[in-house]
Amino acid sequence: MTRNTMIDGWYPVGLASQLDAHGRRTALMGEPIAVRRGEDGNAKVTGGNGRDLPACIRYGHVWSSLGDPQKPLFAIPEADQPGRRLVDVGVVRVRCSPLRAVENFLDIAHFPFVHTDILGAEPHTEVQNYKVEIREDEDEVWATQVKFYQPQAAKSAEGGITTEYMYRVPAPTCSVLYKTCPPRPAEWDVITLFVQPLAEDLCDVWPWMALFDDETPMTDLIHFQQTIFVQDRSILENQIPTLLPLDPGMEIPTRADLTSVAYRRWLKRHGYTYGAQLVAQ
Amino acid sequence: MKLYDYVLSPSCYKVRLMAALIGVTLDIRPVDFHPGCEHRGPELMALNPAGSIPILEDGDLVLTESSAMLVYLAAKAAPQWLGNDTAGRAARVQQWLSFSHRLTASLGAARLHEMLLRPGNIAALREQGTAALRELEAGLVEQHVRGQRFLASDRPTIADIACFPYVALAPDGGVSLDPYPAIRLWSRAVRSLEGFIEMPGIHRLHELTPAPVLEVGEA
Amino acid sequence: MPPYPTGSWMPVALSADLPAQTVMPAQSPAGPVALWRTRSGRAAAFADRCPHRGMRLSHGFVRGETLACIYHGWSYAKAGNCQRIPAQPALTPPDTIRVATQHVEDGGGIIWISVGEPAAGPPRFEGLAPLRSMVVEAGIVALEAAAGTKAAGGLLDYTYDDRTVWLLLAPDGQARTLMHVLVNEDSNPDERIDASRAAEALRRAAEDIARAGIAR
Repeated sequence: MTRNTMIDGWYPVGLASQLDAHGRRTALMGEPIAVRRGEDGNAKVTGGNGRDLPACIRYGHVWSSLGDPQKPLFAIPEADQPGRRLVDVGVVRVRCSPLRAVENFLDIAHFPFVHTDILGAEPHTEVQNYKVEIREDEDEVWATQVKFYQPQAAKSAEGGITTEYMYRVPAPTCSVLYKTCPPRPAEWDVITLFVQPLAEDLCDVWPWMALFDDETPMTDLIHFQQTIFVQDRSILENQIPTLLPLDPGMEIPTRADLTSVAYRRWLKRHGYTYGAQLVAQ
Repeated sequence: MKLYDYVLSPSCYKVRLMAALIGVTLDIRPVDFHPGCEHRGPELMALNPAGSIPILEDGDLVLTESSAMLVYLAAKAAPQWLGNDTAGRAARVQQWLSFSHRLTASLGAARLHEMLLRPGNIAALREQGTAALRELEAGLVEQHVRGQRFLASDRPTIADIACFPYVALAPDGGVSLDPYPAIRLWSRAVRSLEGFIEMPGIHRLHELTPAPVLEVGEA
Repeated sequence: MPPYPTGSWMPVALSADLPAQTVMPAQSPAGPVALWRTRSGRAAAFADRCPHRGMRLSHGFVRGETLACIYHGWSYAKAGNCQRIPAQPALTPPDTIRVATQHVEDGGGIIWISVGEPAAGPPRFEGLAPLRSMVVEAGIVALEAAAGTKAAGGLLDYTYDDRTVWLLLAPDGQARTLMHVLVNEDSNPDERIDASRAAEALRRAAEDIARAGIAR
């Protein structure tokens, strides 16, 4: 078996706001880990055999790695902009491949059927052409100029608008979405999906947001995003096969799926195959 | 009427659904149940020492049990939903209201365990949930033989609303609904009711609307 | 020999459990299927997987004469060919986008599936009416032991309190059986409810036997 090249990546393992001395027991790619606040106040993560694992706190979450991260955690410069509300949405567990969870996050064509009357509605089902690239310098997947009609784009949106998005995949189990920000048209709202791979077919999903919205109560913001993600959950738990097929032939992409095509190609190129299926079965 | 509500709670959804079906407007007060545990905070514990939601407030009446809230809403706005026109029917409604607590304790706890990482013996919860689903399926088969589509009558009552959410969301806790054709038909009948609203995990029945066509010139 | 060789019929559901414009999951000899009925009343069976993203089609919805996937709304005609991709409404989907279909026969209140070309029609049970379908977590041997009689042609006669209920059995692997309960078509509602309860009791007995067998 080849080495799991995802082992050196950073993964979310808990909410920073819930870090305490007692700690929480969880898992990372099949290995039991413990996450707690150390005596110095920093996050302390230990692996199954008691060894210390790398740890950092960023974007509302504790991050760790089973291997030896060669790079710091990816940057989200917008997250440090003053005036943004940072929203800890909390964990939702899903019995699916961590890669399927990310791929679903990159998809807009399901909005009218799964997020009916919130993120999409018939008859506005068409996905206009958009741009997709693998940016070689950053080594990230980007989709830009993505537009879709939304009946209620965000908690702060009243009525339907055509919303614009940019999607970014900076790590195999993380995606950052930039979305039209109704109160500040010059800025983008930031909505992320941080996925903790517990096993190849089980993940803890930690959505997180950095929004320009001074009006909406925090609980409403949390509930809006939990609603969206839990609507996706019953889809994610019923896809066959459970693992994401990386070889062509098993599933049929169309023009609207170009982000997913690029994501799969990028995963395959790097050998990011934890949660993937390589040979059609 | 003020409902202390959590959008992912099937018990809160019972109250929202009932109100929607009978045209009652609720003043929704969202509670940060997860991840904030606000229901265990001082404000809500003062209102409900049990530390559970939903809580329904109407004047000086404070209700903390969802079945009581269904009774209250129906008695106020749509008494035919009480299903208490005969002794037998009234008892049958009560039977299913009590039964609904077993759904909460089994299927509901399995769902919290699988989705929001709450503690529990998942194998035992699923076994109890499956036993409850079998009981419901048998009850619905018997109702069907009697020519009745709903749990206590040929028209929906608060009994149906009390049982529907945790049943419909059973797969969230890893309990399959595939083996239960009578539950499938009943669930469809509930979801087809005029004024029905969804919650996350229960999708819209898109077949109830014809395939929409975009008018020329519309974006 | 597999329980359902090519061309033979497996009883997968009761017709009454599949009204027009609905879809349900079912087990067939070739694996899970989305069993659905068009608005005009015709039943069809598809492999339970949308070729686009692998979503189970039994979670989908029926509009008119097509079954659509809940995920992206791709819709399929009874012959299995994709008719519409909502994300690209102007596109006529190529004929290569299709789901595998199976032969369905809907008669006598029972829906049957055959994998491969059937040699003849499915059996008919004159004088009997289907009552309900149940899943039993036990094999046919345990059901036979509980009933004290052997199944013949997939049909088990189970006599209780001087009454008979007929159980049409379809194995779903070694340890699970789909059981369709049939009653005399002249039965009144009380007799039907008794038959349903007798079938419940038989299931409990068979599952006890199966559990004891595993424990041993």
